[in-house]
Amino acid sequence: MTSRLSSGTGVAARTGTAARRPRRRSSPLLIALAFLAPALIALLVLRIAPAAVALWQSMFQSGLLSGDRFVGLSNYIDLFASPDFQGALGVTLLFTVLINPIQVAVSFLLAVLYTKRLAGAKIWRSLVILPIAVPPAVSAVMWSVIYRPDGLANAFLDLFGIPPQPFLTSPQQALVSIMVLLSWIGVGYWMMFLIAGINDVPRSYYEAASLDGASSWRQLWSITFPLVRRPLAFVLVADTVSNLLVFAPVQILTKGGPEGSTNLLMYDIFTRAYTLGDLNTAQAEVVILVLVTVLIVGVQFRLLKAED
Amino acid sequence: MTVNMTPRARGRAPRRRLGLFGTSVLGAAIGIAFLIPLWWTAINSLRPGAETFRYLNPLEWQTFLTLTPTFDNYVALAGSDLGRAILNSLFISLVTVIFGLAICATAAYGLAAFQFRGRGVLFSVVILSFLIPFDAIAIPLADMFRDWNLQNTFFGLILPGLGNGMAIFLLRTFFLAVPEDLVEAARLDGLGWWGVFWRIYLPLSVPSLIGAGLMLFLFQWQAYVWPLLMGTDRAHIVGPVALSNLQGQFAVDYGVLFAASVILILIPLVIILGFQRYFIQSVSTTGLK
Repeated sequence: MTSRLSSGTGVAARTGTAARRPRRRSSPLLIALAFLAPALIALLVLRIAPAAVALWQSMFQSGLLSGDRFVGLSNYIDLFASPDFQGALGVTLLFTVLINPIQVAVSFLLAVLYTKRLAGAKIWRSLVILPIAVPPAVSAVMWSVIYRPDGLANAFLDLFGIPPQPFLTSPQQALVSIMVLLSWIGVGYWMMFLIAGINDVPRSYYEAASLDGASSWRQLWSITFPLVRRPLAFVLVADTVSNLLVFAPVQILTKGGPEGSTNLLMYDIFTRAYTLGDLNTAQAEVVILVLVTVLIVGVQFRLLKAED
Repeated sequence: MTVNMTPRARGRAPRRRLGLFGTSVLGAAIGIAFLIPLWWTAINSLRPGAETFRYLNPLEWQTFLTLTPTFDNYVALAGSDLGRAILNSLFISLVTVIFGLAICATAAYGLAAFQFRGRGVLFSVVILSFLIPFDAIAIPLADMFRDWNLQNTFFGLILPGLGNGMAIFLLRTFFLAVPEDLVEAARLDGLGWWGVFWRIYLPLSVPSLIGAGLMLFLFQWQAYVWPLLMGTDRAHIVGPVALSNLQGQFAVDYGVLFAASVILILIPLVIILGFQRYFIQSVSTTGLK
């Protein structure tokens, strides 16, 4: 990485022919920029500009007659004062605090289970991975049928003598029901990272621990867990970010209800912008969401750097 | 070792076999539990929509099997708007892969193969762009695209998928591993920068190109927020959005709904399984490096 292609001068120096130097007529900077330009323009216009636009517009309020009027931070103040937003924030927080530790823990335990020597491990493991191919919106549609009062979920509950549950129409169960359909497509994906991490742990560590008579439970906590800390940290952060952006199941299944119990932040932004038609305040909410995600990822970068 | 075997260690062998049996059963049960929704969807796509809820009260073997499979739902799908929506998805995803790979690979080459003042700054633009999740800025971007009259155009649907910071990052990581001597030798033989890219970097990085291609494909195939904001007319609507519209209607033909779900799942599944090795490789590179 020290002297990549651009060090044409290095070649010249080594061969001792200074005459080669003029061959490098165009500077690498311009050539590099030419290669980089399409992607940089795309990223600037399609990723960074919209974030900047959101920040800019969040400080204006547009009226029908008065046009755009600079209002400073008052959209943010209105937002935090609005019960809708407070509700969405609470639901998102609850959702985040529940789903992420659960998904990461389940992914980790499944990764441990499927890296053990057990009959058909590869087959059962791939069955857990299969649902990652399901787009979130398709998962939502499938589970809308599963969760129907006469659907598959209640048929299974009946098998165990449990009375039919309302699932998506109950304020107590709707959020959990959405967590289930998201975990169905998510857990296998995160498990893959953790399986890769576990496979990197040298076998000899376990052999030595076995000879010392450490139980497999003890090996899990003293060897596996500390040695896959890095992939675990990555999975926790990436999972948290992706769960902050959950939208399709809410829009398709519950529209934020019942009683606002599934009104996650992304859906709240969507309704604020299009149903309520308050684009400026919705932009303020976008800014908050972007800041929170960048902050979470930034903290992860710091932590992983610090460990090196 | 046999001599020193303590009674505790001797007793462990059968216990371990029992443990192996127990964990195998657990592993199998969990795997099957994950399969059930997929399986049930697939079976229901093979029987008339009117029979979807017929075998659920109580559960019986026919819930999960059918002796008279029919492809009527798939035939009905072929000529429908929903079928067309799936083709739209396919078109958008494939075009994204082709142009996205071109844009991302050249950018990764620019970052990996050249050393110039400001390279660090440009690389942080790439990093920053994938720190900002696309769905989060979809609403302000949709507002911009509406001003540019890109609503309900394939151009507007495809464009945001092209510049993928994660794909650039992945390709750059692999490009950095291309041996310098090889490149210097090629340069001395008179190969230009484009030649070095085309004849050396690309052929040496096929696995990462496949990984990045998968990333670009799945980004578009799984997209929901953006196509919902950008293209909902009959000619441009994508599969997942059309499917969810169907779900909201009063009278739903569940057979067709399940058939469409199966196709929307099967296409990425076949691609992921076909390129499994590259998929896992790319997943672990972006995650852990």
